[in-house]
Amino acid sequence: MSTPCSDPVALGLWHPLAAIEDIPPSSDQHTRLLGQALRYRKDAGNQVAVFDGDRPLPVTQAYGYVWTCLGTPARPLFDLPEYAEPDRRNVCAATVGVRVSAPRAVENFLDMGHFPFVHTGILGVEPHTEVREYQVELNEDKDEILATECIFYQPQAAAGASGGIMADYIYRVPHPYCSVLYKSCPTDESRLDVIALFLQPVDEETVRAHALVSVIDTQSSDLDIRLFQQTIFSQDKPILENQLPKRLPLDPRAETPIRADKVAIVYRRWLRAKGLQYGVIPAAA
Amino acid sequence: MITLYDYELSGNCYKIRLLLSMLGIRHEKHAIEFYPAAEHRKEAFLAINPLGELPVLQDGELTLRDSQAILVYLASEYDTSGNWYPLQDPRTLATVTQWLCFANAITASAGGARLADGFFHPLDADACRSEAHRLFRVLDEHLWFQERERQDWVATTASPSIADIACFPYIMLSEEGGISRIDYPAIRRWTDRVKRIPGFIPMPGVFPAGPGL
Amino acid sequence: MIDLEAARYLWHPIAASSDLVPRHVFHAQILGRELALWRADDDNVNAWENRCLHRGVRLSIGINDGTELLCQYHGWRYANRTAGCTYIPAHPADAPARTICNNTYPAMEQYGLVWSGESPEGPLPVLSTVDTSFFTPLRAVTVNATSQDLLLPLIQGYTTRLPASDDNRPRYGADTPDAFTIILRVADRSQTGSTPVADIAFFLQPVDAGRTTIRGILCGIDEHNTDAQTLNDLLRFHNRLLCTIRDRLESTLADAPSPAPWIPIIAAVSENQASLPAMSDTGNSTPLRIRVASIDSLSPTVRHFRFEPLDDLPESQLPTAQPGAHIDVQLPNGLVRQYSLINGPGETDHYAIAVKREAASRGGSQALHEQLRVGDLLASSVPRNNFTLRRDAEHTHLIAGGIGLTPLLAMARALHHMGRPYTLHHFAAQDTELLFQSELQAMSGEYLCHVGLTPSQTAATMAELLATPDAHQHLYLCGPAPMLQCARDTAAACQWPEHTVHFEYFSNPEARDDSSAFEVDLARSGLSLNVPAGQSLLSVLRENGVTLPSSCEQGACGTCRVTVLDGTPDHQDVYLSESEKARGDCLMSCVSRARSQKLTLDL
Repeated sequence: MSTPCSDPVALGLWHPLAAIEDIPPSSDQHTRLLGQALRYRKDAGNQVAVFDGDRPLPVTQAYGYVWTCLGTPARPLFDLPEYAEPDRRNVCAATVGVRVSAPRAVENFLDMGHFPFVHTGILGVEPHTEVREYQVELNEDKDEILATECIFYQPQAAAGASGGIMADYIYRVPHPYCSVLYKSCPTDESRLDVIALFLQPVDEETVRAHALVSVIDTQSSDLDIRLFQQTIFSQDKPILENQLPKRLPLDPRAETPIRADKVAIVYRRWLRAKGLQYGVIPAAA
Repeated sequence: MITLYDYELSGNCYKIRLLLSMLGIRHEKHAIEFYPAAEHRKEAFLAINPLGELPVLQDGELTLRDSQAILVYLASEYDTSGNWYPLQDPRTLATVTQWLCFANAITASAGGARLADGFFHPLDADACRSEAHRLFRVLDEHLWFQERERQDWVATTASPSIADIACFPYIMLSEEGGISRIDYPAIRRWTDRVKRIPGFIPMPGVFPAGPGL
Repeated sequence: MIDLEAARYLWHPIAASSDLVPRHVFHAQILGRELALWRADDDNVNAWENRCLHRGVRLSIGINDGTELLCQYHGWRYANRTAGCTYIPAHPADAPARTICNNTYPAMEQYGLVWSGESPEGPLPVLSTVDTSFFTPLRAVTVNATSQDLLLPLIQGYTTRLPASDDNRPRYGADTPDAFTIILRVADRSQTGSTPVADIAFFLQPVDAGRTTIRGILCGIDEHNTDAQTLNDLLRFHNRLLCTIRDRLESTLADAPSPAPWIPIIAAVSENQASLPAMSDTGNSTPLRIRVASIDSLSPTVRHFRFEPLDDLPESQLPTAQPGAHIDVQLPNGLVRQYSLINGPGETDHYAIAVKREAASRGGSQALHEQLRVGDLLASSVPRNNFTLRRDAEHTHLIAGGIGLTPLLAMARALHHMGRPYTLHHFAAQDTELLFQSELQAMSGEYLCHVGLTPSQTAATMAELLATPDAHQHLYLCGPAPMLQCARDTAAACQWPEHTVHFEYFSNPEARDDSSAFEVDLARSGLSLNVPAGQSLLSVLRENGVTLPSSCEQGACGTCRVTVLDGTPDHQDVYLSESEKARGDCLMSCVSRARSQKLTLDL
């Protein structure tokens, strides 16, 4: 599974490699991206350099993570303005290896219907299984997907939550391998907590899933926040690793969607329109 | 009160949580972040366990490390039935101990592949996988013949023992290390039976079973 | 190389029968294709593609609840036999389209093995040269090698004599009728001492490229007349030998590159399944042929009818039904009548109905009671469900009047099976109308009977039952019109939210007025039609080639619902709730008409 990537779309994207705070300073680190072995190194000033062999690669440091691009970046990394808000806790919650393609992992992140069955007692609980109608749009200017008015019953929506609520969600897909979730903040009704999933496609069927949590929460410790996200990610893992095929099929007749999957339908269509090849099974022409 | 130094994603810690739950023992948990913070290798925790390994159990004055040792202690001290660790029956006790050691080999192999793939530990994942498959073949064969003799559990006990608890987590999590269980049908049936032991609790990565017949 | 193409059309053993223990899902693979194999509580063996067709998650990690297989990801439930989806928890108010159905494969049991294949043709292989009066499956051993690599070492492992003088194993002669079968016959029975000797049939199951499972059976050993220890020793002996053969072969192949896995082609889902279903999908209207399998008296006036498909072939399976569904049965006298299915979950091999002989029968119940005989053939519609059971309530109240128990019985069976809390109230004029009492008493929900109440007593009881409304609880009502009206009025007076009150009438008790005439524009087909006085909208549509499913044709069942885009409907049905009627965005085309001069319909 390590044939080099020849997909120009994937080669032109920014990809996350590691949480900057987790990189030991002044020592070479190794990882893989799009089937390619890479080396990266953090200097004393917290600046990270990334190399493909001896070739230096472009670097962006954003949202707690170091990002690189194997080709020529088609555009700057997407905006996540909440990250800069002064009263937010920004926590790099975990980096987890999962044997699945990046698009399958994005779709799972966009899915509410699995909460009662996979995140039982935390993000959902039976019999409260209904996924109500919600809105999805493709914002052509920003080239990103937005799903709004997503409502789901949650027994414990976040590390700082106690008791069940009808949680409000907004999902953004600003990047084929990244998604950002905004959800009602249990401690401040006027604000939204942010959970972002940044996927590093190690190869077509393996990812490192990086999580960023950006919350208004004065009570939970960083440790609580990280452990909560690690639990959620690890609950998804056996599902993702048991999906067949591991790459996301873009043919509309590959799988059976329901109304709750509206955002996934738009996501698959969007990937198709981009001509993305890496991590998907393209639709027959 | 019993305190368990615990990491939720650790299979070794899960063994202890399982037995505590199945025996209905009240306890509190103290979370130690194994990954990415590696708190178990930091000074505060090394003072509790100089080996820097999870789990650790404290019961009053007693501080115990090593998941198998903790299982032995909890079953000997708190299981009034005497079934989980049959101290009265040397032969059965020996088979239980034999499978406790086997469980360590599963942790080193199947658990190692999971650490390499999921948590990026510098281990030889392929070597771990082939060793795990070798062990799984042995266990599947054993469990198949156990089934023929109407024995449900890994040791020759009439009800589950701590050997079942010790073997269960890293077998159940083996797919995270790229080790499929498709070739081990007797192991798959046994994992269903373990999941149906009263007091069973899941962990992230392990689903509960449906009701038995 | 093995002939992959030819192998697709063969039967292959993929498990031992004893592997499929109750409430377990066996993970099988044949020619690279993964299967989820599970035995239902009724002993039926299901062999399904190992992926939920929703999001591709392996069903082998799902839950076999005895009658249905649940996907671990979103809790979708698939019925025993048909693999039809019976419930999608994300959309609890919808009956899943009957077309949502997993890919299934044939499964047969023979010689203690489960046989399947991609598209096996012809009968199962028959072992004609060995004694098959008894057979004992050996432990299956999977080898990392192709079946071709395995064939010779396996034969040699059994036929080559060891130099050691204590090799007193039987001598075998080998025969390979095809590339996947080896028959070993004992050549000389005189040398074998006290151990029973048996001919052995080996089947090589081509699991994947470079992986083969050896499935062996010992032939002709009567287990009941053989000492258990002796038999176990024999099984251990063969297992050890097979493992040795495996280990040797794998070590000789250790340096060979592992072949690329076979990637099976997974059939695309139907167009119908790939698109988003409409909010309500009444499905197709192809009639089914069914046979009356049994008729039993449940009480002096109620009979139980069991209908089965005409033969046992998988393709003649009955479509999957959900609780609350009914079928339209064409009776011998030409009438068509609707009957609720009372089947429990996973009962997919038959349809069951319970019919009361009505004194004022319009010919339906009379025909069923008097004319129908076991063995008769009938036509029936596919199941239609316009009385869907939501299963996301914290508590479900089922309130039945008389024979109105029937749809609620199916619901109670489903709720009981899922472990969801419910209460069933059965109002009846006399004790003999209380049906299925012992079953209902044994089930998990509360079961209360109210017998012989006057209308005012009924109203008082209803007021008591419905006194405390709860938005997370749901009511399901079915019974005679006066009782139903009483329950609905009481629920409304107690302020049960309208969306929590679900009801089904036997028939429309209201007088219909078809004296109006109006026009309809059909937005999608671009037709404009006139509906004259004395004729229904439904019949005008049909005359003009617009096909629409319908069932009761008196405004009770909800099948012929049509979306209204413009204009004001004149509702004459008893299916829609008051607020649905007030919204005016749909109507029942069999009875309802127009208050405005024109209606625009989404047809």
